[in-house]
Amino acid sequence: MDAKRNMAKGPQPREGGTRHIEGLDLESVIERARGQDAEALGEIYRRYARRVFGLSCYMLDSRESAEDATSEVFLKLQRSIESYDGSIPFLRWLLRVAGNQCIDALRRRQRGRRVIVEGEDAAAVIETASSEPSPLGAVISTEERAQVRDTIARLPENYRVPLVLRYYGELSYDEIAQQLDLERNHVAALIFRAKQELRRRLAPRSK
Amino acid sequence: MECYSEQTIALAVDGELAADDSRRLRDHLATCGRCRALVDALRAENRVLSESLHELPDEAASPAGFSRPRRSWVRSDLARTVAVLTLGLIISIWFDELSIPAALEWLNPFSLSGGTNLFFNLSYYFAHGGTAMLTEYAAAVGGFFLLSLLGGALLLGSRSRLRQSGSRLLIVLLVLSLPSLALERRNGEFVTVPASETVDDTLLATGNTVRVEGVVNGDLLAFGQTVEVRGTVKGDLVSFAKRTVVSGTVEGSIYSFSQSLDLDGQLRHSIYGWVQSLRVDDRGHVGDGIVVGAGDVSLEGEVKRSVNIFSGNVDVSGPIGRDLTMAGGTLTLTNTSRVGGSLSARVHQLKDVHISDGATIAGKRDIQMQVTKSQFTRPRFYFHQAIWFAAAMLVGWLGLVLFPVFFRAATQAVGLGWRSLGLGVGVLAGVPVVMVVAALTLVGIPVSLMLFAVYLAAIYLAKVWVGAFLGQLLLRPAGATKGDWLLGLLVGLLLLTIVGFIPYLGGLVRLGVVCLGLGAFAAQLYRASRPAITT
Repeated sequence: MDAKRNMAKGPQPREGGTRHIEGLDLESVIERARGQDAEALGEIYRRYARRVFGLSCYMLDSRESAEDATSEVFLKLQRSIESYDGSIPFLRWLLRVAGNQCIDALRRRQRGRRVIVEGEDAAAVIETASSEPSPLGAVISTEERAQVRDTIARLPENYRVPLVLRYYGELSYDEIAQQLDLERNHVAALIFRAKQELRRRLAPRSK
Repeated sequence: MECYSEQTIALAVDGELAADDSRRLRDHLATCGRCRALVDALRAENRVLSESLHELPDEAASPAGFSRPRRSWVRSDLARTVAVLTLGLIISIWFDELSIPAALEWLNPFSLSGGTNLFFNLSYYFAHGGTAMLTEYAAAVGGFFLLSLLGGALLLGSRSRLRQSGSRLLIVLLVLSLPSLALERRNGEFVTVPASETVDDTLLATGNTVRVEGVVNGDLLAFGQTVEVRGTVKGDLVSFAKRTVVSGTVEGSIYSFSQSLDLDGQLRHSIYGWVQSLRVDDRGHVGDGIVVGAGDVSLEGEVKRSVNIFSGNVDVSGPIGRDLTMAGGTLTLTNTSRVGGSLSARVHQLKDVHISDGATIAGKRDIQMQVTKSQFTRPRFYFHQAIWFAAAMLVGWLGLVLFPVFFRAATQAVGLGWRSLGLGVGVLAGVPVVMVVAALTLVGIPVSLMLFAVYLAAIYLAKVWVGAFLGQLLLRPAGATKGDWLLGLLVGLLLLTIVGFIPYLGGLVRLGVVCLGLGAFAAQLYRASRPAITT
């Protein structure tokens, strides 16, 4: 139906079209992008490139690779957008695609090996209920947030990747498990340990 | 009831706990203050994590290839300018203080004589079509660059492993510098090989004056203000000097980058060089031929084979065994001159060629006028341009396929405008100085050569990036596909090529394009070398 509506409008002048598309709601933009409309794809880029690049930055270790991954995601989007069925929010779907792209990049670098290898204590639940308040709990300043970001960027890959996918990519544990080819409870353990490690590294800050 | 573990509570806070577990936990929380506090703390922690991650610094937040120049550049630019000036000051003091660069004083842009020399040399080269030659030279290196691109891509396997390329490069450099360990190295204000001495190895000499009176059995690599060979060099002479004088014997060839090169002695093979003035004295003898770009050339002695010269003024009064080919300003053949083959000259006007009646030319005389207008009427010109154009497009396409992000980003970096331009001027002038300084150290020679290759490649690529940027500016493609980029490149290159043929302005534009492109390249190299997340 949407496609028909677009056809009825016919081709529009480029400038006018760009201004027009900026005001469109996401669904219409996606619909048009599905029809390989270059302006709509450009609009999706304009809206989400920053977020995709951010995810790639956190997951990969150099700006260059992050830029590569981002451009790959948007280049492939022309084809892959057809597989988006609207069952989950578009951003979440896009970040899932981006996450996959980054994991592929990490995997390529490790010559096809899995990014995170399941250890023996993979899903071991750490039963140390701590009643201490988390050092991250308090409201923190901009500089401190920068420090948190920096510390996350320095975490080992097996902690950093799931943590970033969860709290920046906002993916579910199941989605992360699927992407990383791991058990769901292993992902839970990794995220839990990642946070503990983060607290440990940031601890001197709060003292 | 027993309290829940932190991990279970963390799962619940993340919304990942199964429904009935979740219900049981909720019941527990109603009665347990400790677990409630933990839930609150973990929620706060998640919020901080999420907020921190979402708040990317502007600089790291957008892909470089598509980012707009930041608005708040004034302060950081000011700081950088101050830093560059300070660095310049330190370097200038270093230039003044250090003894080694005395050999290179004539290149020192900070000294009066060095500055004027540099200025006159540059203006001279530019006045005589130096920019065009620079570009052509760079074009010749284009092939080499393509090979390096492919080789590099193969060596690295994939871009994602670029991180290790630093160590690989180091290994390659070390391997390349191994032969240099066989060098004998001498360094000082005044380096001599006395008449009684024989150096068995290749000699690398750096000094204010380098003088060989004895025998060097290998090659002589000399850097200095004055390089003199009075004795014998059995191998090649490679000189980088203000003045190179050969009054003895060189059994190999001479490769020279000098202000002046004088040959009074015997040369078994050829002269290859880029000099301001070349003189083969009547006692001088060249066993093979001469291939040089020079300001003034005077050939009084004998050259056994062909002479190819790109020069301002050529005076020939001695015999040349084969062909004489020249392009440039004026050509004079005196009564005593003899050309065993054909003469071909490309000059601006017929009256720029003086051939005395006594001069003998065995072969054909082919004198062509380089009238600027005429080149557009020759079909060869268009053929040449088409090949040049296709090569540039091919290089652009290959670069885009192999290094998509870098190429796009470098294209975009051209948009930094005067900052790219300024940086480019600095790189254009600074890299040769760095190369010379690097060549003074043993390990530095391959580094210097590689730097030279990259430098020429970047000069060639400059027009690709600037062209692509210009095209994008004009076309404003909506998507950012490869096709759009290449179409932009096509349009931009076409425009640059046409503008390049406008007299005077064209040369200036070409120089500007080289500077802009070099600046964008340098800026992008700098960016790419930084880690992904900067806080």
